[in-house]
Amino acid sequence: MRPPLPPRWLDKLATRICAPHLREELLGDLHERYALRHRRAGTRKANFFFLREVAALCRPSIMRRNPSPYGTPSAFSRDMLRNYFKIGSRVLLKNSGYSLIHLTGLSIGLWACMMVATVVIDSLSYDRQWSRKDDIYRIVTVNKMGKDLSERNSSSPIGLAPELEKNYAEVESWSTVDSFEKYFKIRPEDNDGISTNLLTADTSISRILDIKLLAGSLKHSTQKHWSLLVTRAYAARIFPGQDPVGKIIYDIPTFSSEPTPYEITGLIDDLPYNSHLRADAIRFQAAKPEPLVNDGIMSFGRNYILLKHGTDVTQFTKKVNTWYTRFMKNNSREQFEFQPLKDIYLHSDFADGQEVKANIRTIYIFGGVALLLLFIACVNFVNLSTAKAFARVKEAGVRKVLSGSRTQLVMQLLTETLLLFGISVGIAVFAYFFTLHPVENFLGHRLVLTFTSNILMAGGALLMFFLTALLTGLYPAWVISGFKPANTLRGIFTASLGQTGLRKTLVVAQFSISIIVLLATIVVWQQFDLMKNKELGYDKNNLIGIEQISWNGKGEAFKSELQRIPGVMRSSLSMWMPTEGAGYMQREVDDPAHAGRRLRVWYIAGDVDLPATLGLKLVKGRMFSNRFADAINADSLREKDFVKFEKAQMNQNSLMTASAAKMLRIKQLDVHAKDAQSVPVGVVGDFHNESLYEPMKPTLILAQKAPEYASMLIRIQPGTEMQVGAGVRKLWKHFFPEKLLRIHNIEDKLAKQYEAESKLHQLFLFFSGLTMFLSALGIFGLVVQAAEQRAKEVGIRKVLGASVAGIVGLISKDFVKLVVIAIMVASPLAWYALQKWLESYPYRTTIHWWVFAVTGAMALAVTIGTVSFQAIRAATADPVRSLRNE
Amino acid sequence: MRRSDLGEFEEIVLLAVAALAPGAYSVSIAEELESETGQTVSTGAVHAALQRLEQKGYLSSHLGEATQERGGRRKRLFTVTAYGGKVLHEARTVRNSLWNRITPSELSKMGLDFSNS
Repeated sequence: MRPPLPPRWLDKLATRICAPHLREELLGDLHERYALRHRRAGTRKANFFFLREVAALCRPSIMRRNPSPYGTPSAFSRDMLRNYFKIGSRVLLKNSGYSLIHLTGLSIGLWACMMVATVVIDSLSYDRQWSRKDDIYRIVTVNKMGKDLSERNSSSPIGLAPELEKNYAEVESWSTVDSFEKYFKIRPEDNDGISTNLLTADTSISRILDIKLLAGSLKHSTQKHWSLLVTRAYAARIFPGQDPVGKIIYDIPTFSSEPTPYEITGLIDDLPYNSHLRADAIRFQAAKPEPLVNDGIMSFGRNYILLKHGTDVTQFTKKVNTWYTRFMKNNSREQFEFQPLKDIYLHSDFADGQEVKANIRTIYIFGGVALLLLFIACVNFVNLSTAKAFARVKEAGVRKVLSGSRTQLVMQLLTETLLLFGISVGIAVFAYFFTLHPVENFLGHRLVLTFTSNILMAGGALLMFFLTALLTGLYPAWVISGFKPANTLRGIFTASLGQTGLRKTLVVAQFSISIIVLLATIVVWQQFDLMKNKELGYDKNNLIGIEQISWNGKGEAFKSELQRIPGVMRSSLSMWMPTEGAGYMQREVDDPAHAGRRLRVWYIAGDVDLPATLGLKLVKGRMFSNRFADAINADSLREKDFVKFEKAQMNQNSLMTASAAKMLRIKQLDVHAKDAQSVPVGVVGDFHNESLYEPMKPTLILAQKAPEYASMLIRIQPGTEMQVGAGVRKLWKHFFPEKLLRIHNIEDKLAKQYEAESKLHQLFLFFSGLTMFLSALGIFGLVVQAAEQRAKEVGIRKVLGASVAGIVGLISKDFVKLVVIAIMVASPLAWYALQKWLESYPYRTTIHWWVFAVTGAMALAVTIGTVSFQAIRAATADPVRSLRNE
Repeated sequence: MRRSDLGEFEEIVLLAVAALAPGAYSVSIAEELESETGQTVSTGAVHAALQRLEQKGYLSSHLGEATQERGGRRKRLFTVTAYGGKVLHEARTVRNSLWNRITPSELSKMGLDFSNS
């Protein structure tokens, strides 16, 4: 008779509790007693006693495991750590091909990630170093145009801030700050100036921003000079090794005829570069007290306000706006917002005059793409590592049989990952260091916080890399170390080794990303191309512009001299130039179509040659001509009597664009049109006076006789740009020796408007190349692996008469299938995202079907190219070789 | 001799080994103690005591034969060493001398009487 047995689970539990070296005797004892009790008291009682016995086993002397007589070193002992590195480096060297694929992929991914992280961190660091950064706000004027339409403006009435200070206890201080570029020269007779970023502010700026005075004083100069505070770096540039305080420098005038002297009254510490108030010098200007009035004209400026710490801004804004509406007797559409200083750099799309700004959207796109790039690199790593697991499981099996623990195996594999990551980080940092400068050039500004200059950031980055490496390495390590040694050594691979599901998903994700980026590249390029090459309604080629100056009454003379330069066809003194806004003034008139609605029309003005110089096309009526009294003598009229001037302007002859004529319902020419507030004499074709970010504006053109403050447009014969440029310079020296000549090619200036798109396009081009390359690299690794793994299968197929093409197809099929899925996943996603992106442009390119076709074909071509290279090698290999071994 | 070396339970186990010689092993000892004291004695407790006693040198052990009831596992048989015997003897001497010093009249005065227990 078989002896009765205790419940299995209790027996197992007892085995677990009991130390291995005591199991023989102790478990035997338990069973014997169980049999005894079973005989005496029956199954139930015996089971109950057995449970008590098992519980009683829980004592240290029984549970404590005997140390192995050979001693198992801890997985973290120093010897083992050294061993991991030794074995790890040997493995990496042995599989140098794979290591190279890993290294290339990871280095690129890490490098791109670091670069972009730098740009993002740098952008986010703007204006965060001022001590009162949380309490400084810029007053933004919101102009309610219509129901949902509002226009934001970075300037506000000059009188507002002092009024707020008077009325509200929350306001600590305020300052009107303006920034622009000026050219300074050390002696008045010097020719070239030093480009200087200048802030203009009153002395209260020192209460708002941290301005550290090193020498001199923050007081105004007593003399009648402008007083200037220069930064240390700037002083070192203009007066190297000298004390700049008390020195006098001169600006290059644009409007006045004489250089203005500036006295340097103080030397201050450098202002932070990562601030939207980036400057080399500060010009002190006494605040012009101007009362806030509720009727009449107010001048506007960029006002910064310092609130008491802890002020609730939403509450304060509400209070101010309620007060303002009351003050304006309810007939103002203006409201105010307080824009935190920290937001100004990234959230100032509306601020036209602000040079130092960035777009948060670009930062997001930039960061997103870089993260995806790193993701692809890590996916490559995981994919290749798990695919390679096939070759490693035998090693893992042997290690386990020789009493290696799982912890040791995981540590071994993690060490290999860390080694690879470590080397990649090294390469990436090296590349980063040397590409920092080109990237700064590309961005157009310096990067203040970089990984190679900031210890804290470097430490953070290293920690991030370490974590990424651990996360990436853990999965393959877990998989490889998880197999049962008996199975792996016998050659039985369970389904879990395939992990093909995960691997396939990752490959699809990878290729989807590359395809999306590629699609984005094409669409961004198309949009850029559209904006660059769109017909603007005037001839933008062969047009030169001289920027606005005051002509000192010599404009007409200069123009007639200019006409003599060979190559100059026509020229015009104009109060408007392409890229300088929609017009020199705008008016609101009643909409003839809808009673009660107002329309906005823009005016551009110049001498009578302006329309012809621009190359506008006449649709109806006539152009301006000297034979008619088209031009009024605006300057002298205005000086004499402003009311009279307005009247003359109202009755002036005008040209209007086709869209303006349609909007204002102008049927008849040469009669005074009330809505147009002028006498239209001709209709010209529509033209884009602004960038293509804006819809076409209805525009009227007026003529003035030789305006004093004007720019000049010069129409030249094709190919004579250099010649004319030289001629103009010579003429300029003769006419205005003290003035700075700022001369531009209009086409270049127009193209410059789309710099953001151009940069985005270049960026996408670069990133799409990288993502494609990395994806291809990953798939290449997988194909190499697949070919190796299926070498025997290929051999047998060949022996049985399979063709090379068939085998190539067999190996490639799997991967091509994945890429096709990726194309299907990526195309709608990309279409949606790009459609969203394009929505912000009034003139946008359409996304054609062929874009998707081309992208898909490209992705497929890359895949097939990569895969077939290895597949053909596998297919043409001698079957004897693969079948003979083992 | 350090008296603290031998706990009460250990002493009983050591005595049981001596009494059951040569067939003393965990099960027989535990069963014996159970029937002597009428309380449940777990194998684990006995085993732990045996281990300690062997470590102290009072017992020696060797592996005996396997039986079917034990699932084919062998048992460990224990015998008292000479040193162990000496320790037992000393313990007994201490007790006896103490017992001898108790006078029956004193006992009965305290209302205690061990004579017929």
